[in-house]
Amino acid sequence: MWRLQTSLFGILFLIIFMEVSIIPFIWSDLRVNFFIGMIIGLIIYIPFSQGFPFVILAALVLQAFSGARIGLIPLIYIIVFLSLDVIKSLLYFENVYTQIALGFFYYIAIIGISLTFTGAAGLEEKIPYLLIGAMLTGAISPAMVYIVSRLQKIYES
Amino acid sequence: MGRSSTRAFLLFIAAAVILVLISLGQYSSSSFGIKFVREGYFVFERIITAPFTLIGHIWRDYVFLVNAREENTDLKKRLDEMRVQGMILEELRSENKRFRTMLDFKETHKEFTLYPASLLTQDITLIYKTAVVDKGSRSRFFIDMPIVNPDGVVGKVVGVSFNTSQILLITDPNSAIPALIESTRIKGIVKGTGGESVSLEYVRSSEDIHIGDKVITSGLLGIFPKGLAIGYVRDIRKDEHKIFADILLTPCVDMQRIEGIFGIGRDVATTD
Repeated sequence: MWRLQTSLFGILFLIIFMEVSIIPFIWSDLRVNFFIGMIIGLIIYIPFSQGFPFVILAALVLQAFSGARIGLIPLIYIIVFLSLDVIKSLLYFENVYTQIALGFFYYIAIIGISLTFTGAAGLEEKIPYLLIGAMLTGAISPAMVYIVSRLQKIYES
Repeated sequence: MGRSSTRAFLLFIAAAVILVLISLGQYSSSSFGIKFVREGYFVFERIITAPFTLIGHIWRDYVFLVNAREENTDLKKRLDEMRVQGMILEELRSENKRFRTMLDFKETHKEFTLYPASLLTQDITLIYKTAVVDKGSRSRFFIDMPIVNPDGVVGKVVGVSFNTSQILLITDPNSAIPALIESTRIKGIVKGTGGESVSLEYVRSSEDIHIGDKVITSGLLGIFPKGLAIGYVRDIRKDEHKIFADILLTPCVDMQRIEGIFGIGRDVATTD
């Protein structure tokens, strides 16, 4: 269990590095959410008792890289995790297209939830970046799911 | 005709020919049939030497091509190296320019104790506008420390650790800075919108405001020193049914291109 958690945190720090340093350096207004794909992977392959604590801790780590009100980022990702856990019986999560759609949808949903709490007004000009970010998040989600599945297989064997 | 007379005749003809040729002058011989001789010799020479020349050409060109290929590869490698070096030099030049601007800024603002820092990360979300810099409490950064760059106000410190600080940029929806319009001294609050622009709020619709007016910090609240540039008025919307005008500003600092920043130390008089 600890080896899996350590590996997951290792991946988490890599995706944080991508999200807050590499991607903004390349394109300042673009944000790609790698964590959504990771959560989808956790839902599919990792037991709830291990996946849920990881998501809470990971969201707390992510909070350190955001100006959002303390607790908002964990709240958002707990909502994402639980809602995905609920709908996993309705959708076939192993399907790549489902993962892409979920990545896209949840990226938009997270922005929507954040906006509800913030009331930011100047986001109209960012809609193109938002859509590009959502598409890239959708595209990267299956890769993140695959990484989690590989980890699970390695530690299971 | 005897044998001796034949020899005498030939000698005579030869002497006559020599005499005639000598009498033609130095270069006139080329206009005579001699040129045909030369042309003939030229053709002959080429026919004789053609195989040797051909072999020579093949050998020389082959050797040359082999050398050229090696030389080309070598030159390409050197060119790539030079290009990389050029890029590094260009980056060093722009970095030098940035440091020079920062140094000039520091020189012209000797009344401030400035602590330089560089950007480490940007906010993980698209909505919030925060950044993390590579200086923390160890470098005398503290909560509410004003952050500026040579263009104007960047934001303020909202979180400090030993080696890093989190900065709330003025474009963040949670940012609010007491400000005034430089020319008319009209006071207001500059608030972030979450986008590229910021808004100047609580300015009455009846006030005289113009596009392009410069907005500076007012020094109220004691966080930001007075007179730091925030932005320029970009858009004004006045509604007779509203008490306050909707004013949008373009920040002086391009938030997408922040690299080097300064924290302003505590020993600064913030108000008049």
